[in-house]
Formats: sequence, C-alpha cells, structure tokens
Amino acid sequence: MELDNKTYKIAMVGSKDQILGFKALGLKTITANSAEEAREALFRLNGETVNLNNESRKKYAIIFMTEELAMQISKEDYKKLTKEALPAIIPVPGIKGTTGFGLSRIKKMVEQAVGSDIFK
Amino acid sequence: MAKLNVNPTRMELLNLKKQIKTAERGHKLLRDKQDGLMQKFMEIIREAKTIRKNVEDKLQKAFKNFMQASAMMYPEMLENALLFPSAETSLAVETKNVMSVRIPHFKLHQKGNILNYGYLQTSGELDMALEAFQEVLPLLVKLAQIERQAERLAEETEKTRRRVNALEHMLIPNLKETVKFISMKLNEAERSSITGVMRIKASMENA
Repeated sequence: MELDNKTYKIAMVGSKDQILGFKALGLKTITANSAEEAREALFRLNGETVNLNNESRKKYAIIFMTEELAMQISKEDYKKLTKEALPAIIPVPGIKGTTGFGLSRIKKMVEQAVGSDIFK
Repeated sequence: MAKLNVNPTRMELLNLKKQIKTAERGHKLLRDKQDGLMQKFMEIIREAKTIRKNVEDKLQKAFKNFMQASAMMYPEMLENALLFPSAETSLAVETKNVMSVRIPHFKLHQKGNILNYGYLQTSGELDMALEAFQEVLPLLVKLAQIERQAERLAEETEKTRRRVNALEHMLIPNLKETVKFISMKLNEAERSSITGVMRIKASMENA
C-alpha cells in the first residue's frame, strides 16, 4: 500500500511465538528476546522515516511490545522515544498472559495527572 | 514569603502592580486549562481501563488458539506458511488539538487476505487463530490510541498543575509582599519628610 501523508504503519516487537500471528495480519514484526534487543528494535523503528513531498516523518505510528520487554525499558529511553506525539509505544500481554504491567501503567498516568491514585 | 530584591521606588511599585495583574490573569487562565484537561483526562482514562481489560482477555484467547495451532504443526511449516503475508495493514493518523495538547487519532485500514497459504500443510486451528488475531487488532489499535492520548494528557496536566501552583503559591504572594514593602517604605519616607518640614517650620517660628 502506498503511504500518503496521513498513513502510517504498525509494528510489533516481541518473542517469536508472540509476533508470528501478527505478521500474518500485515504488521511489521521484529523478534526480540532480551531487553537489549527490544531496546535496539525500538530505536530502529523510531528512527525509520518516510520522505513525502520533501518532508520526512515517522513511518510507524504504533509500536506494540510484550509487557515482559516493556518492563525492562528504562525510563530515560522511553522518554526519548516518546518525545513527540508519535509513535505510541503500547505494552500488550504476551503468550503467558497479563503481568498487570499495562494496568499499572494506567495507574501511573492517573497519579501523574491527578497527584494521587483515585481509582483504588 | 520572601520579598523580591528591588529598589523601593514608585516606578518599581507601578511595575510590580502591573506584574501582579498579569500573573493573576495567567493564573486564572491556567486553572481553567487545568480543569479542562482534567475533565478530558478522566473521560479517557476510564475508557482506557475498560478497553485494556477487554483487550487482555481477548488477546489471551487468541494466543491460546495460536498455541494450539502451532502445537499441531511443524514449526518450520508454520513459519513458512506465515512468512510472506499478503495482508497489509496501515493506519490513518490524525492529530486533534485538545487544550493545546496534540493527541493522535488512529484509523485502521486493512486489505488482502490473512489466510494466505496452502490448506494442505496447515491445520484448521491456524485459520481460527489468525481470525482471532484479526478480531483483536482493531481493539489493539483503539487501545493504543486511547492510551497514547491519556499519556499525553497526563503529561500536560502535570505541567499545568505545576505552573498553577508556582503562580499561586510563589510568584503572586512574593509580588504582593514586595508591593506591600515598597508602599510602606514610601509612606515612611512621606511621613519623615512631613515631620522634617514641620520641625524646620517650628524652629523658624521660634527664632
């Protein structure tokens, strides 16, 4: 599919079992088995840009990654990656099921915005 | 409260009074912005929570199907079957402006067939698993959109809260304190000049 001004791609980073199914759906998948590999993959995906009418912009709008890997990404790296409106880096539960990381992330957002967790 | 380090002159007093006016107007504006952000954030975060729970359930089921499918097949065959997908997925992104925060909106576009392999060497479970994934994907995209929005709003809300607090508890009280200090100093100077004149007048009358 041709990329136009408003069309982006989706990527997924995770272990092989996890991403294989999504590959069939047409997502860009990158295998990562350790935190270091995941970190590299994230920076590489974030650095990929497309050139349109002499304007370059990011290629990927959403990067999904396994909760296990997302947990191990350091805060500094995460901040660097999410400085701009895109991409959205979203942890999703892996094959082993949810670790609660996704919900705790939401909780942290509430704490950040409100000052305390009001959904206890 | 600490007073600012300025000269106690009438000029400074006028400047400071102007500053207080601006600061108070800014404070009011920022507080309104904070309220607006908070309202939007609350809406979004509630939705984010329900969607995430929903996604986690559905994804778990999809993975279970997929695990079953992969258990029925040779790993090499599974990989071969999924190696070159003909389905394509892309995302239309628009950014909306909420209280001067740019938040993204995603819209999923898919084309092509996900079941893009020979039926002979693959099991029926794989078809089912892929269909399950296909069903989850729109939800995942929705989750991504709403969590990213929540994240952006949370950052902005925190920033705004800090600014409101800084104005309310530091800048404005300091300015007020300084204005008070200067006006007292000026009054004192006025009194002292009056008494000075009175003293001179009295000594002239006595002479």
